[in-house]
Amino acid sequence: MSATLTSSPGAATGSAPAARQSYARYVGGRLLGALGSLAFVLVVNFFLFRVLPGDPARTLGRGRFRTEEQLEQFRATYGLTEPLPQQFVTFLQNTLTGDLGISLRYRVPVADLILDRLWPTLLLVGTSMLLATVIGVYLGMISAWNRGRPVDRVWTNSTLTLYSMPEWWLGLLLIATVAVGAGPIPGIFPTGGLNSVDVDPGTFDYVLDTAWHLTLPVITLTLAYLADYALIMRSSLLDELGEDYLVTARAKGLRDIAVRRHHAVPNALLPTTTLVALNLGFVVSGAITIETIFSIPGLGLLATEALSIPDYWVLQGTFLVASAAVILANLLANLLYGVLDPRVRT
Amino acid sequence: MLAAVALVFGALTPLALQPAAGSEAEEPTTFTVAMDNEVDSFNPFLGIEAESYEMWALMYDYLIGYSMADMSPEPTGLAEDWETSEDGLTWTFTVRDGVTFSDGEPLTAADVAYTYNRILDGGAEAATWSSYLTSVEKVTAPDERTVVLELSQPNAVLPLLPIPIIPEHVWRDVDEKAVKTFANEPTDGDPVIGSGPFELVEGTAGGPTARFQAREDYWKGSPHIDEVVYRVFKSKDSAVQALIKGEVDYVADVPPLQVDALQGQEGITTNQGDSPGFDEIAFNVGAVNTKTGEPIGDGHEALKDPDFRFALGFAIDRQRIVDTAYQGSGTPGDSIVPPTYDNWRWEPPAEDAFTFDPERADQLLTEAGYETNSGGERLMPDGSDFGTLRLFARSESDTSVTVMDLFKEWLADLGIDSEITAMESNRLTNVILDGEFDAFEWGWYVEPDPDSMLSYLTCDQLASWNDAWYCNEEYDRLYREQNQALDDAERVAAVKRMQEILYYDAPYLVTAYGATGEAIRTDRWACLQSQPDPGGIWLFQYGVTNYLQMRPADQAGDCDGVTNAVGAVADGTDASGSGAAGEVESSSSSSWVLPTVAALVLVLLAAGGLMAFRRRASAGERE
Repeated sequence: MSATLTSSPGAATGSAPAARQSYARYVGGRLLGALGSLAFVLVVNFFLFRVLPGDPARTLGRGRFRTEEQLEQFRATYGLTEPLPQQFVTFLQNTLTGDLGISLRYRVPVADLILDRLWPTLLLVGTSMLLATVIGVYLGMISAWNRGRPVDRVWTNSTLTLYSMPEWWLGLLLIATVAVGAGPIPGIFPTGGLNSVDVDPGTFDYVLDTAWHLTLPVITLTLAYLADYALIMRSSLLDELGEDYLVTARAKGLRDIAVRRHHAVPNALLPTTTLVALNLGFVVSGAITIETIFSIPGLGLLATEALSIPDYWVLQGTFLVASAAVILANLLANLLYGVLDPRVRT
Repeated sequence: MLAAVALVFGALTPLALQPAAGSEAEEPTTFTVAMDNEVDSFNPFLGIEAESYEMWALMYDYLIGYSMADMSPEPTGLAEDWETSEDGLTWTFTVRDGVTFSDGEPLTAADVAYTYNRILDGGAEAATWSSYLTSVEKVTAPDERTVVLELSQPNAVLPLLPIPIIPEHVWRDVDEKAVKTFANEPTDGDPVIGSGPFELVEGTAGGPTARFQAREDYWKGSPHIDEVVYRVFKSKDSAVQALIKGEVDYVADVPPLQVDALQGQEGITTNQGDSPGFDEIAFNVGAVNTKTGEPIGDGHEALKDPDFRFALGFAIDRQRIVDTAYQGSGTPGDSIVPPTYDNWRWEPPAEDAFTFDPERADQLLTEAGYETNSGGERLMPDGSDFGTLRLFARSESDTSVTVMDLFKEWLADLGIDSEITAMESNRLTNVILDGEFDAFEWGWYVEPDPDSMLSYLTCDQLASWNDAWYCNEEYDRLYREQNQALDDAERVAAVKRMQEILYYDAPYLVTAYGATGEAIRTDRWACLQSQPDPGGIWLFQYGVTNYLQMRPADQAGDCDGVTNAVGAVADGTDASGSGAAGEVESSSSSSWVLPTVAALVLVLLAAGGLMAFRRRASAGERE
């Protein structure tokens, strides 16, 4: 799952058909690589979690499954007594047909659990990442363009300060102030959860209600992510500032803003694109800390809690989905890079 | 930066206020509970978590009720009375008339028999419930109001039957194969059918909320509230903040420090109730392979000696454990039956009661042959090196780690070297089953009938729940005797004798009986009664008494005669001592702490900017 994008000098030569052919080969190679990684993850997933210490029947059944017979009943009912190779074959067959097994804790199909939890996570982490990208890239651009001036120092130091703050602390602080209300600040936002209980799903009110609940967690996460994008953008734009083509552009008489927008920024966006594409893959892994603080029923929490049981099928399912997303995002990044920067197509 | 935050706020505030304003209309009275965990299953044959047990109690009825005073069985459930045959092999229950399921069908003896028979038939149902039907051979319903249990041998634990009674006409469509994944959740807006005081109208296993609606036609009378809502809070801090704000009305399992912090809050009443259970330091008293009888693992020889273990009982400062590891919320422990169940409990005689007495511990160890050398180091009876004791703590529990830290100190004072390993409990389970430990810290919850707790330390449970690897024939004989006793007094005597044996054999050194913190908005709600009464907890009890009894604070009155319920007013005086009855003020907190913290953050945020300007200035000077 390495994200290294190899570039080799002098590859951008050759006629148009040859270039097209080489891009097709490039795409084919990347696709095969992605499928290979996925198959690898599938196998590793199964054995990785089987070596976890603990016995789900005992962890779950302490104080409830009193006798060895009860523990055995449980294990037999949920397929834990079968020999491991057999379990592995069943696992492969099931996964290929889209069946991710039954959760040992919740006793419902893992696919259903993941679908239930996917939406909150996508909303929370996706929105935050989008906001952080847009705001971060803009701030990075402003900072680099005004290098050394107060505006640069303010934004760079502020984003760094936010970056170094623990997420849970920032989250709790927002809860204590704008959710509960303190002094003159009214408590306008909810303390946690994704929805009010009494709002009907599918209505416009439901959308508003969700947005209202997500405001604080999204703000927290956006603030935490901000520095990542701002700093990458700042440094890659700084790299471009000394380039000859900018001098040329200025010499042509272009206004400063046009030089920035049409010449410097497009080139500086390359590293940011990589970062965005890679982070996109991690959206479905969730944000455990924020999900905990704001009690958002997301995938991160599902996986973390499954680990302590260990709920094998939930772990396999969530990791499969998370790995697939990362692999897919990598693939997209690679393909996109092939378009943006022809030098990598070899 | 601040401008950006303000901008985001500005953009979202209009959205935010709309739904809040929209829900101002006439609202039902809703009691909202904040809890730690999601419901693992609404299917009463599958769920394990305490949260699920609480929900089933709203959805279903039980054959037997449990008293508020001490959780002893009483005829407040579906059975209006019961009798046992002379030989103890036949139990006959009379099911009360006039109980209906929420779809209008009557609940009869056949439903009770159906529920129990599903468990007797094995499968997932048996995994969860079969221990309550030990020795039950056959359950029949000869007529609509009679349930008969036929046993192969007497079972003194009956009538402890905390099994929800399900409607046969719904569940007969859920076969043995289907039941193991049957969610029992509302479908297409239809609530789940049950006979309990509330209907589940919204909620899924693993979901963040569950909503229940009161049933007007419940046989004990309609509840005084319209709805109960459960919300999962994964962070206790957030749950407490939600209580302060008034988003939730009750928070379960509030840690002691938070209970203290909430004490001054207007409109909130806190409680530290007994949670019936104990925590212990357990020893490896002799791990064996149960098939061959060969010793396994590498437990320390000294811990196989009951005299050695008993001596250590005087080396533990239980009060200090309660004060530090439990932040004062608990009481020092001795026997495995907590004081909550005083009818079952055995008290150690005064001369042998574990007090913190290192000198006596030292003297007992020396008498048992474990002398110290000139350097103060403890030796084995044959004069060889004692070696090191390996202590294990559960890493997810601060209490566990603190207790073991203290224990290590006390052992060192006796000249015994030890080392602590903290690990997750599921890993520790493996270590215990392999017998590769000397001592660990853990705890047990004790049911209203101590039978199950006592069973964990029998030889039958070796390599299973018997985590101290304790095996004593006399103890096992007494276990069988009390389990099959026909006479209550005889049974109690056997149970007490078993505790005595355990006390002196000391496979466990009981450290503390914990307490559970709770907090509730008494400016809005009243009439919750603790179980056990007094000294117990308000919710997550045996039975649903409080969900039927609770009502808005302004309608409290004398709580229908339950004058020691929270918020009850008897003859114009406040009997609960909470002082919160009648206050209807639901404003949120306005202490000085929060604004100060907020200000601090603004300062921090601005710090980056300020520093920047100063550095810029000095750079300019240098140029």
